Amino acid sequence: MKIGIPKGLLYCKYYPFLQTFFSELDAEIITSDDTNKKILDEGVKYCVDEACLPIKIFHGHVSSIKDKCDIVVIPRIIQLRKREYICPKFCGLPEMVLNNIPNMPDAIIEPIYATNKIKLFNWATVAGKTISKDKFKIKKAFNNAMNAQHNHKTGIKDESYELNVALSGHPYNIYDNYVNMNVIRKLNKLGVGVVTEEYVEDKMIENEVKSLYKKPFWTFTRNNYGFTVNAMKRLNINGIIYISSFNCGIDSVTIELIKDKTKDYPFLILKVDEHTGEAGLDTRIEAFVDMLERRSLVENNISSHG
Amino acid sequence: MYYLGVDVGSVSTDLVLLDKKMNVIEKIYLRTRGKPINAIQDGFRLLKSKYDGIEINAVGATGSGRQIASTLIGADAVKNEITAHAIASLEVNKDVRTIIEIGGQDSKIIIIRNGIVCDFAMNTVCAAGTGSFLDRQAERLDIPIEEFGEYALKASTSVRIAGRCAVFAESDMIHKQSLGYNDSEIIRGLCDALVRNYINNIGKGKEIVPKVFFQGGVAANIGMKNAFEQALGFEMFIPEHYNMMGAIGVAIIAKEIVEKKGNTNFKGLNLAESKFITKSFDCEGCTNQCEVVKITENNSTIGYFGDRCGKWCNKLIIPSKKLLA
Repeated sequence: MKIGIPKGLLYCKYYPFLQTFFSELDAEIITSDDTNKKILDEGVKYCVDEACLPIKIFHGHVSSIKDKCDIVVIPRIIQLRKREYICPKFCGLPEMVLNNIPNMPDAIIEPIYATNKIKLFNWATVAGKTISKDKFKIKKAFNNAMNAQHNHKTGIKDESYELNVALSGHPYNIYDNYVNMNVIRKLNKLGVGVVTEEYVEDKMIENEVKSLYKKPFWTFTRNNYGFTVNAMKRLNINGIIYISSFNCGIDSVTIELIKDKTKDYPFLILKVDEHTGEAGLDTRIEAFVDMLERRSLVENNISSHG
Repeated sequence: MYYLGVDVGSVSTDLVLLDKKMNVIEKIYLRTRGKPINAIQDGFRLLKSKYDGIEINAVGATGSGRQIASTLIGADAVKNEITAHAIASLEVNKDVRTIIEIGGQDSKIIIIRNGIVCDFAMNTVCAAGTGSFLDRQAERLDIPIEEFGEYALKASTSVRIAGRCAVFAESDMIHKQSLGYNDSEIIRGLCDALVRNYINNIGKGKEIVPKVFFQGGVAANIGMKNAFEQALGFEMFIPEHYNMMGAIGVAIIAKEIVEKKGNTNFKGLNLAESKFITKSFDCEGCTNQCEVVKITENNSTIGYFGDRCGKWCNKLIIPSKKLLA
C-alpha cells in the first residue's frame, strides 16, 4: 500500500509523526518534493483563487503525488490546543482538494483534534484502519509516532551573529525556502542571525497571551503573538521579521496585536505570495538590516557615519 | 573628482554626477521601459558626450535593478533604495524627520530620528497607490502625466474614488466618468484616494512629523503634494532633485566606500559602446527550476542572476556585496 504525504502546510512540523505512523503500519510512503515552480504552478491552477499561498501550494503537492500513491493523507487539523482552533482553511482542506483536483485517489480526511493523546488516537484508529486491521499494530505505530514527534526538535537559533532577529510567522512560511525565497540564508549572508518560536518556552508564550483582553481564538495567533512579544522583551535580539501570506485573515489580527506592543521597536512584515522576483524582498531585508546596524551603532554611542 | 549614482527603477533610470562637494552637476532622467540595460547605456552615452575624459572616483547603484546595473558598470556600492533615499535627504537637510517617497512601483515612508533611519515601511505586494498607477490612468484619460497635477488643481471639488486597489479604483473612476464628472474633478479625487491609501496603509501607525520631504517621481505632481498637505495639515518640502534622490544617495555611499577601500571598480563610460545580450534559461539542476538570466558583454559572460542556490551567480567573482554602513 502506497501512502502519499504531501509536503505542504504543517508537514514541516509534524512529519516525524506522520512518517513514523504510516511506515510502522508497513505502508510505502511517497512524499512530494520540496516546493518548486511546478508545484506552485499546479497549486495555483487547481486551488480556488481566494485561498492563501500555503493552501495553494498544498494543492500543488497533492497534485504532484496523486498518481503515485493509493491513498493521500490530507491532514484536516482542527485543534492543537484546547479551546483554540488553527485556521478555518484547514477545516475545509480535504473538500477543497478533493473537489478541485481531478482523478484523486482515496484520501484520509478524518479531522485531527490533537488536544490530547486520546483524541489524537481517535484519528489514528480511523486512519490506521485504511491500511491495517490489526488494532494492536495501530496502537504500537501510534505510540512510536508520538515518541518520534516528541524526540524531534525543530526551530532555529543561530549563534555567533552580531545582529539577531526573531523570525515569526506560520511555520510553513518560515520553513518553506521556496515561499520565503531563502530569507534565512539571505539574513545570514547579511550578517544577521535568526531565532524562531520554538526557542521560547510555552510558559512564556502563555504569559504574554494572558495580558491580551481576550484569549486568542486561533493557535497561530497565540504562538506568533506570544513569541514575538516575548522575544522582544527577553531574547537578545535587534528586531522582528514577520513572514505573512498575502490574504491571511488570522495574520491581519495577529499583526495588529503585535504592532500594538512593538511601538518603536524594529518590526518588518514580509508579505509572500506567488511572486518569484526577489528584488522586492531583497530591498526590504537589506534596508531593515541597514537600519538595525545603524541603530545598534547609535545605541553603542558610535558615530553613524563611521 | 566626480561621483556617479545610478538608480534603475521600474519606471525611470536616473543618473547623477556629483562633484567633490556633493553638488549635482548633471542629472539624467530616462524611462526604463522594462529595458534596464538599454536605459543605462543611453544614460552613459549622454554622459560620455558631455563629460568624456573626466575622472569618476566612485560609482553606486540602487533601485530594483541595482544588481544588473552593478554588473554592467562595476559599482562600488550596491545599496537598497531606502538607505539611499535617507542618506540623500540628510545631505540636503539634517533636520528631515519623515520622508515620503513614491516611485514607479514602490511607495515608502522613512522615519528619521536623530539623523538615522529608525523605521520604514513599504507597500506590500501590490502596486496600488504608486507612480505606475497614476501613469496608467493619465494614459487612459489621454492627459500627459506632466500635466496631471495641474488638472487636479483646477477642480473645486473632489470625486470620491476607492483607493485600496488599483483595479477597483479604475472601475470606480470609469463609473464616475460615465456619470459625467469632468476630468479634473476625477483626477483630484484620484490624488485624494492615493493619499488616503498611503496614509492608512503605508503610513499606518507611523508618526508623520515635520520636516517632511516628499520625493520620488510622483513628487512632480503638484496635485499629489496638495492632497498630502491637506491631509497632513502642514507643508511638505520637495527637494530640488526630488526624482534623483536615490541616485544621489548611492553616489554618496559609493564615495564613502571608495574612501575606505581606496580604489573604484568603475568600468568607465565606454559601456555605451559595448554589446550586451541577456538570455534566460530554466536551470535543470534541481526541482527548483530557477529562471536564470545570463548577461554577456561583447561575447564574454559578465553575470548571472535569478538562481536560488548560487550555482550560477557565484560562478563569476563578484566583489563583496556586504557594504559598510
